[in-house]
Amino acid sequence: MITTKQIDSFIEKIPPSPKVLQETLALLNEGDLPKAAKVAKTDPALNAYLKELVNKPIYGFKNEVSDISQIFGILGVGRSQQAVYNYMISLLSPDKWVMFQLNKTSFYNLQAQLCANWQKILEHLKINDKNAQNSIALLPASFIVSEALFCEKIDDVELLRSVDEIDLNTILQRLCKMDLFDICQRIAQKWEMPKSTIAIIQAASGVKPSQNKTVNLLGKWMHMLLFYTLSQPLFIEAGLNDFIDFQVEYVGDIYEEFTQVMEIE
Amino acid sequence: MRAVIRNGIGIFHPQGFLDGNAGNSYLSVEDIDATIKSNTSMILVSLKKVIFFNRNGLDAFVKMFAKVRSANHITVGFCDYDKKKYDTIKKFYNNDLNFSLFKTEQIASLFSSSFKEKNQNVLLYSEDKSQRAALAIELHDNGHNPIVAQTKEEFLEKSKVKDAYDLIISETFLGQMGQKVAARVTGNAIIYSLSSFIDAEIGETFNIAYHNNSLNVGFRLFIFDAYKVISMNIHALNFFSKLSSSSAEYNATICFVGMSFDKTPIAFKETLEDAGIMFFEQMDDILQNKELLDELGASSAASGKNRRTLNKVLVTELPNFIDATVATIEMMTNSTACKDAAKVDKIQIDSKDGKIASSIGFYGDIDGMVMLIFPLGIAKKACELLIGENTDDKELILDTLAELVNIVGGKIKTLLADEHISVDITLPRTYHDVDGLLEVADSKKGVQVDLSFDNDKFLFFLTR
Repeated sequence: MITTKQIDSFIEKIPPSPKVLQETLALLNEGDLPKAAKVAKTDPALNAYLKELVNKPIYGFKNEVSDISQIFGILGVGRSQQAVYNYMISLLSPDKWVMFQLNKTSFYNLQAQLCANWQKILEHLKINDKNAQNSIALLPASFIVSEALFCEKIDDVELLRSVDEIDLNTILQRLCKMDLFDICQRIAQKWEMPKSTIAIIQAASGVKPSQNKTVNLLGKWMHMLLFYTLSQPLFIEAGLNDFIDFQVEYVGDIYEEFTQVMEIE
Repeated sequence: MRAVIRNGIGIFHPQGFLDGNAGNSYLSVEDIDATIKSNTSMILVSLKKVIFFNRNGLDAFVKMFAKVRSANHITVGFCDYDKKKYDTIKKFYNNDLNFSLFKTEQIASLFSSSFKEKNQNVLLYSEDKSQRAALAIELHDNGHNPIVAQTKEEFLEKSKVKDAYDLIISETFLGQMGQKVAARVTGNAIIYSLSSFIDAEIGETFNIAYHNNSLNVGFRLFIFDAYKVISMNIHALNFFSKLSSSSAEYNATICFVGMSFDKTPIAFKETLEDAGIMFFEQMDDILQNKELLDELGASSAASGKNRRTLNKVLVTELPNFIDATVATIEMMTNSTACKDAAKVDKIQIDSKDGKIASSIGFYGDIDGMVMLIFPLGIAKKACELLIGENTDDKELILDTLAELVNIVGGKIKTLLADEHISVDITLPRTYHDVDGLLEVADSKKGVQVDLSFDNDKFLFFLTR
């Protein structure tokens, strides 16, 4: 169905991250917001994306924000970086989704929701770390990878799933000894994303707990947030809800706290 | 979302947070239709991966339950939950609880009379006295040994001795149970379940097309599980007499198990026996008796009387059949297939050693059957994706092979549907060795296609 060769060729086809983005990220890393905004302004697509993202209702800004320097100013260093990473991931998303019923708008909504709620979680956990903040941007890459690898195999997946409760991650693991999150990791490495960002994503798969306490804790919260988000009608109907298995035991100990942070009644 | 169907039980697996909005998004009208059309004896919703739910979230599934039950008269309910979730569901639905609750999937399977595991020693407890009785009766009917704890203290005390029981049942509730003439396969016998009063309606509820095609695929033993039958009338008697004589043409045997003649005239039994139907008290009298099974034809299958030949439609559709088979095996093994040779003749197998086989029939606009003969190695490799590990357990491989052939059947069905040819598929039949298959296929002409997967030979045979 899917071979290691196909995975390799998929990763090979991913272009290196554009120069403008690399520069913007580096400047943001140094905390130089005005210079970063100046560089970012040279990429119209990035401009349009950031404007659309930040003006989503979930970000909760009263007035429309349209200028890049203004956007970076409001978001601060960490969240600006996160927004640029979101843009990078969105570059990978297909023009037309086939496996999942998504489109540009719903995909951006998904990114915006994950990021806004992740911010709430980090504030609750009192974690102020750029790499932790950025890690959430990498999470939707797992949907993009699933879409890319499985879009031509929908019928096979459906048939397989009519006789066995098997998620895409397990199918891939059994066929190629590599799962969706390993592929995300390889993309992230190609784009030179920080190691700790990648480690959090691996833990968020729910099946690979980390030895590092903080990374593991963040992995749990991200796994829970993923399924909280994927339980929304829009994403259930898009067919995203069961792309990987929800590991209830893994997140059992943070459930109560999570419902308080998300104000679930 | 579609249900995963295994051993005649269909299970939905929602994940995450199940509130009103989410609940309604899981099931489309088509999903409910497909569930109704699925040939299952039980439909369940697993709550294992649901971390939060409210009444509105469950309601979407409860509404589906009502539709499925009124259409198919089968058991419906939730499974895989902990005590907290069980108490919450009972509180939500209070006096309105007309579906069942099974603590685990394994417990549910005891009530689906799947006979996968027979003669289980089961400790059970429910706070509700009538539920205790209902649970015990159902378990007993399905061939298990229920041990009922009358008080919570007794239950806790007894459940300490874990090794004494195969299974411990608590936090389980039986809603309205099913009534459908459901079919399932045990080994190579087909078991139909009957219950309550059997009258002229049996002619409508019994799926005769399915039965006939099972005969054609090579099933030779049909058991009616009649533990729950209260009585039958003259119309039902005529129905079964006819069924038996038509099955006799295929050398097939029909048995009744657990039928009591308290409220049915004993003369009926004689009439049915004259028609060739056999009666047994316990399911195990047949299923545990290997010699009898052999004699009744559950492990061998002499070919039928009606010899049908290949026709043009089938041959025209041949590429579809081969594509479906090759694509499925390629998908499961990640290897590429080559077509070696194709010919129309009687089946010809060069070497029988170390091979297992499986067949599946289809019927509808066109009918026929597909037989697949695998070297054990390919079968093992193909099953690895479903089992998740390498195994040498031949029974497990055969079971999984049946699933695989089911997938092939499903694929054929979809490919034919694209050409507006509508077919249904029978349950898959498996054979420990090639000789068993040859008894069915030996004299039939068909299209034989030799395929090879990474140098392993593999045989496909299409016939009617």
